[in-house]
Amino acid sequence: MKIVVCVKQVPATTDAKIDPETKRIIREGTKSVLNPFDLYALEEAIRIREKAGGEVSVLSMGPESAKNVLTEALSMGADRAFLLCGREFAGSDTWATSYALSRAIEAIGGVDLIFCGKQAVDGDTAQVGPGIAAQLDLMQAANVSKVEKISPDAVTVSRMTENGSDLLRLKLPALLTVLKDINEPRVPTLKNARKARRAEITVWGPGDIGADPDLIGLNASPTRVVKTEPPAVRNTVTVKIGGAAPEAAKALVGELTGRGLL
Amino acid sequence: MAFTKGAPPGFHVEIIPPKQDSLKLEEDLELFASKFERVMDSGFTASITDNAMGLLAFQGHECIEELGLRPRPDQVLIHLNTFHTKRNLDEILESCEKLGITSILAISGDGSPRLPKLKPADVEAEGTASVTSVELTRYIRKHYPSFEVGIAFNPYEPEEHEFDKLNRKLDAGASFVITQPIIEQNAVVDRLLAEYPDLPVTVEAWMSKKLFLLSDVVGYPIPEDAAFDPIGTLEALRGLYPGCGFYLSLLGFKTQYPVIEEMAAERRERA
Repeated sequence: MKIVVCVKQVPATTDAKIDPETKRIIREGTKSVLNPFDLYALEEAIRIREKAGGEVSVLSMGPESAKNVLTEALSMGADRAFLLCGREFAGSDTWATSYALSRAIEAIGGVDLIFCGKQAVDGDTAQVGPGIAAQLDLMQAANVSKVEKISPDAVTVSRMTENGSDLLRLKLPALLTVLKDINEPRVPTLKNARKARRAEITVWGPGDIGADPDLIGLNASPTRVVKTEPPAVRNTVTVKIGGAAPEAAKALVGELTGRGLL
Repeated sequence: MAFTKGAPPGFHVEIIPPKQDSLKLEEDLELFASKFERVMDSGFTASITDNAMGLLAFQGHECIEELGLRPRPDQVLIHLNTFHTKRNLDEILESCEKLGITSILAISGDGSPRLPKLKPADVEAEGTASVTSVELTRYIRKHYPSFEVGIAFNPYEPEEHEFDKLNRKLDAGASFVITQPIIEQNAVVDRLLAEYPDLPVTVEAWMSKKLFLLSDVVGYPIPEDAAFDPIGTLEALRGLYPGCGFYLSLLGFKTQYPVIEEMAAERRERA
């Protein structure tokens, strides 16, 4: 089973700030992490490889610093890592990103299954996974909460919906985007982490993946960000309740009830 | 035994393993190894934290294994919190047994979205809502009886509640205690020593000059410019609590460690 997991470097959510001029996330000087949803996608891919054999490759598009999240993915147990890097890719929206990643997946070749996290926590669009499937004309299932069964030619999954869940059987190759319910991602061991830091990460430019220069980067991106604002700061109220435990408990219940919270 | 009542009270030096996201891992590992070996040579106890403050780090036992370090009998204390998978928990305990480590500090610990919490069924505690150091202690003592299990004691919690928790931890099989940091004589610690005369108690001493970092622990704000003399305070605490060991958190290895070694040497000479 040849599996590719698409991962993204995102700002640590507690550190994210938005440039008031450009309306873009300020990435310089901000701590970056592996997109949390992608950890679950990677864990699921590794578990399938552990059962069915094969290899897991991780793929990302971003600046040179995105190598750090690929190293983390290798530490968790991925076999190979690929980074699409170059100024030609800069400013890509979800459409252009999906296109570039799909070219890279074709360049890796012979891929049976593609995993993505449900969405990236910076853009929150949830469009890139389905976009890759569309570019490659593959079957896809978004919001997968469980891989029920996998065989060399098909995968059966539970997909969460607003009303419950669907059981889907997809012919391979296919693409899945996963939810956090699917597993508990492992924490890398020191042995793997040291090995990963010595591993080579393949860096590709547009030419290496046969990408059409007119279909990547800012100019190829139909999305225009009109306005972006950080969420309004919620006012928090601290109420101190003293006294003995029984009276304090009653006072707490009264306070919460009075505020419509119980 | 390092944590047996009557044994010479010693210093327990906190060592924090390298963080998972370290960009200079080899350098950090080298530093870990040098601190560990120095603590072994000094005859102190290396007290190795487990994802302290919920920050993802490598485990103490794997650093020891990977670096080929040799823990000396009774000179290593591995902290173990409740944020692990069952498989990971057993791996840590089995590795520690193989390494000849005999002491575990069972603590509830600080969580993070990246750390899975032990489920009650993982530690055979189906009747409880969530796993705390009590259930963890009971599990370790039942399945890994070769370990002495220590627990934390917080003199800043409501007093009766804390003593009730202490009793549950002792009932679960804990056999020694490490307190939260104190910086002067503490009435709750005094009560602990008076009411549990046979229980080995190690007092945590705060070795950073930044006293305000303790604000969350003590439950009231400490001004950022509060003056604090860690070594002087440690000397005073040793006078106040002569039968206790001392857990040194955030110890400076360049300047403070030699002073601690001198203190230990003086004590040996007097003995």
